[in-house]
Amino acid sequence: MSTHTASLNQSRQVSGRRRSRTFGLNRRRQILGALFTLPTAAMITIFFLVPLGMTFWMSFYRWPLLGQHKWIGLENYSAALNDPNFIQALKFTLEYTVIITPILLVLGFGLAALVQRGDTPSRFFQSVYFMPVAIGLASASFLWLFMAQSQIGPLWDLMHWLGLIGSKSNLFAGHWSSLMVVNAMVAWKVVGLQMLLLLSGLQSIPVEVIEAARVDGASGWQRLWHITVPLLRPTLALVLVFSVAGSLLAFDQFYIMTSGGPSNSTISVVYSIYRYSFIQFKLGYGAALSVLLMVILAIVSAVQMLLLRNTDHN
Amino acid sequence: MISDIRRSLPRAAWWTLNVALTVLFLSPLVVMLSMAFKSSGDQGHIPPTLLPQHPTWHNFVKLTSVQGLNIFHNLLNSVMVSVSATLLVVLFASMAGYGIARTKFPGAGIVFFVALASFMIPFQAILTPLYMLLKNMGLNDSLVGLTLVYVTFNLPFALFIMRNAFASVPQALEEAARIDGCGTIRAIVQIMLPIVKPGLITASLMTFFNTWNEFFAALILVTSQEKFTLPVTLTMVASGSFGQIDWGSLQAGVALTIIPCIVVYLLLQRYYVSGMLSGALK
Amino acid sequence: MISRPIRFVAVAAALGLLAAGCSSNSGGSTTTSAGTPTGTISVWARDAEKDFMGKLVEQYNSTHQVQAQLTIIPSANFVQKLGTAAAAGNGPDVTSLDLVFAPYFASTGVLEDISDVYNALPYKDQLVPGHVAQSTWDGKTYALPFTGDASVLFYNKDLFKKAGLDPNKPPTTWAEIRADAKKITAIGSGTYGFTFAGACGGCNVFEFTPYIWGSGGQVLSKDGKKAMLDSPQVTDALQFYRDMQTDGSIPSAAETDSGNQQVPLFTSGKVGMTALGAFAIPSFDSAKLNYAAAPLPGKDSGTASFAGGDVISVINGTKNRAGAVDFVKWATDTQAQTWLAKNGSAPIRKDLLDSVYATQGQSYAMVAKGLEMGQVPFSVVENAIFNDNNGPWVKMIHDSVFTGNIQAAQATAQSAAQKLIDQA
Repeated sequence: MSTHTASLNQSRQVSGRRRSRTFGLNRRRQILGALFTLPTAAMITIFFLVPLGMTFWMSFYRWPLLGQHKWIGLENYSAALNDPNFIQALKFTLEYTVIITPILLVLGFGLAALVQRGDTPSRFFQSVYFMPVAIGLASASFLWLFMAQSQIGPLWDLMHWLGLIGSKSNLFAGHWSSLMVVNAMVAWKVVGLQMLLLLSGLQSIPVEVIEAARVDGASGWQRLWHITVPLLRPTLALVLVFSVAGSLLAFDQFYIMTSGGPSNSTISVVYSIYRYSFIQFKLGYGAALSVLLMVILAIVSAVQMLLLRNTDHN
Repeated sequence: MISDIRRSLPRAAWWTLNVALTVLFLSPLVVMLSMAFKSSGDQGHIPPTLLPQHPTWHNFVKLTSVQGLNIFHNLLNSVMVSVSATLLVVLFASMAGYGIARTKFPGAGIVFFVALASFMIPFQAILTPLYMLLKNMGLNDSLVGLTLVYVTFNLPFALFIMRNAFASVPQALEEAARIDGCGTIRAIVQIMLPIVKPGLITASLMTFFNTWNEFFAALILVTSQEKFTLPVTLTMVASGSFGQIDWGSLQAGVALTIIPCIVVYLLLQRYYVSGMLSGALK
Repeated sequence: MISRPIRFVAVAAALGLLAAGCSSNSGGSTTTSAGTPTGTISVWARDAEKDFMGKLVEQYNSTHQVQAQLTIIPSANFVQKLGTAAAAGNGPDVTSLDLVFAPYFASTGVLEDISDVYNALPYKDQLVPGHVAQSTWDGKTYALPFTGDASVLFYNKDLFKKAGLDPNKPPTTWAEIRADAKKITAIGSGTYGFTFAGACGGCNVFEFTPYIWGSGGQVLSKDGKKAMLDSPQVTDALQFYRDMQTDGSIPSAAETDSGNQQVPLFTSGKVGMTALGAFAIPSFDSAKLNYAAAPLPGKDSGTASFAGGDVISVINGTKNRAGAVDFVKWATDTQAQTWLAKNGSAPIRKDLLDSVYATQGQSYAMVAKGLEMGQVPFSVVENAIFNDNNGPWVKMIHDSVFTGNIQAAQATAQSAAQKLIDQA
């Protein structure tokens, strides 16, 4: 019996040692992993979480860049809700989003459908349509700013030649013509990304489903609306959420191409925040507007996800 | 749908449409290049000609002293900021990606979640206090401050990519390496890095493009003109003082900003595209 | 930075001046035992001054022990840059700044109180009143006048002749300007009678407010606490521009002109009249234009002008007050101002304006007159109301002229401007 217990003890000791050795190694690896993650965690904490907190905090203060800051509670928020400039910026941003989103979606879908074959020529064209996505929005804005200039801009020249505008027309003098030029630029620059996302969605739809519907006698449009689009729903949801979020946050194109004009009619929400924070140096008010922006963005995104993620179809 | 298009759009029509669209998509770039090389005489032509009749480098030369700036100096600023940010992002994201995916230390999940959540919050909304924070740290109007901010903006997405990349390395591989006597670090570098390389390239590309082209933060956080990055420098070229805007110089500046992007895009398309897609598949 | 030989010469020159009994400065810690300021100072200036600032600073450096290092800042972000730097504590020692911004920076403690320097100036009474008023805050002086400009009405004599008008008899009332503009437009072939910058706030505070002042009106109360954009004189002035627009006398480029079309339009010889300042004269001369200047008139009589240019200040917290003050004083003194008069800026002293500046030509004489009697709207939110291209001032003018809803535009602008003042 003693030998049995002894051997039992021995094996217990041995396995105990082995366990503690792997446990020790694991701990070491975990510590290493944690250390590895430290820089990232530190960066995100210092340059993201802290400013995020500061945004909320500063929004309760009257905080001029030069001078003392003072607690004013919710005053910034009540001022914002009564601020004609901010309301106008909000309205315009929504107007812009509502116009550009379907344009991008339809064009993106059309391009995706066009190049979905996947053969070499398709991939070449796909590459061309995606290329503008790689350049910056600011660069594209400067480029199109020139293209739309009266007399000397090729876009203006083309429109004039087509008889769309008169020889004294100034595309940036009117609200709608300015917006159209900006939309054209954004469409050119961004549609490639939508095309890509929709393409990956399209390519994941099983061919058999479409074929079955065709065999069953469904017309092209019916197949589109009742089969393809519903199956694309997750992709569409994604594309829309990103597209809308990007539009709500637009700044570069308006700052560069229209300077908010004509007559401040193309000032977006972020542009408005920029003006209050960095031109009038009202940092507290700018922070409050930023909080409102985040809230609006969250609500809009949530609503979209709710409406579109609803996959209770057969 | 797929076969529909194939059926309803005969080859000729498909080709015509695509070629027309290609012309449409490439024409702004042609315009940019054309204008960048047009002499002042050519520029005065109304209506504008498609190609310069007397192409010249003059617009680029003018950019070496626009309002006291040499744009090539700003080009260097952009290069420094983008390259540094990219290196730092890739380094930090890889390290964290490994840590989170492979060592699963307590709290790894939380860090990952916070990083992803931060991806959902627009940086435009926190720029106001970020500006103040940098000022308090003595980093206002500095390219170092801008670079650090850029690194933070790009870390979440890069972390997402790298974590997924590391997570997809088969456990067996790492085990085998360890049994073979590799230390942890060597295991990472020699065995896993080659596998996660596509992720590295994608993360680098995304960061590079984002930082090279970024405008809003660069506009606000850097106020000395000799420290401007390229996109912000273009606002100076476009402001023209009391004279008329020099469109040729502006387009030359735009060309300087755009061409590196296009070159990198053409060389590394595959990774860039996959990067955009993986962002969506979140 | 400064090479050794130059430094040696500077020191030698300074010692020489010292021996000749040059005065020293009060206060500051960087002076020699004899009281002469030394050390270095950083000086900021706007890019509008870049043509002459470099040479001016060189002149100073070659004759003084204090060495100034110049940085040029783009006008567009000057306020941002100075504000941010001041808030972070890394501003310059001395800055030249557009005089309209002086009240704001004085009121926020960015500028140093230099009343002692101002009061000790022997030529104090010769300094142009417009600049002095802007430099005063709460009874103290925070800046000295530095560079000058004034708005006048430039007109193209050739176009006047072509339109059958007497080139030596410029218009003296709004009705005359309107009629002359109509006649010039009638010449045809792309000629217009008048232009202005319809999307530029700063341009219009420079060029449009004189019409209101000349008619006895104001855009702000003297203490800057009350906006007066809804006053009848403003209505009349807006109507005046609107009438020229409906007459067709204004080119379409004016509507989106944020400041860079006015000069080229006038130098192209296609526009008969426009209000600008002396800064444009070199462009006119190099285009060999046959032009002249006239004072900006009030509605039926009287003339007015905007006293423009820069004032120069010492920044609060400077580590070399003595050196900074020395530079600032020198900048207003005879040598510097005389040189400036011939090199791109009107001097800000009445004595020099008459003797050195006005004698350079008819336009210069007009600018000199304008500067001497010129006004400036006094406000700590001048930038937000007037200079901002998205501000209420330019929106009021733009909407009035191009859509015609003058009353509505005035009402909107008035409430927006008053709100900005109240919330400052």
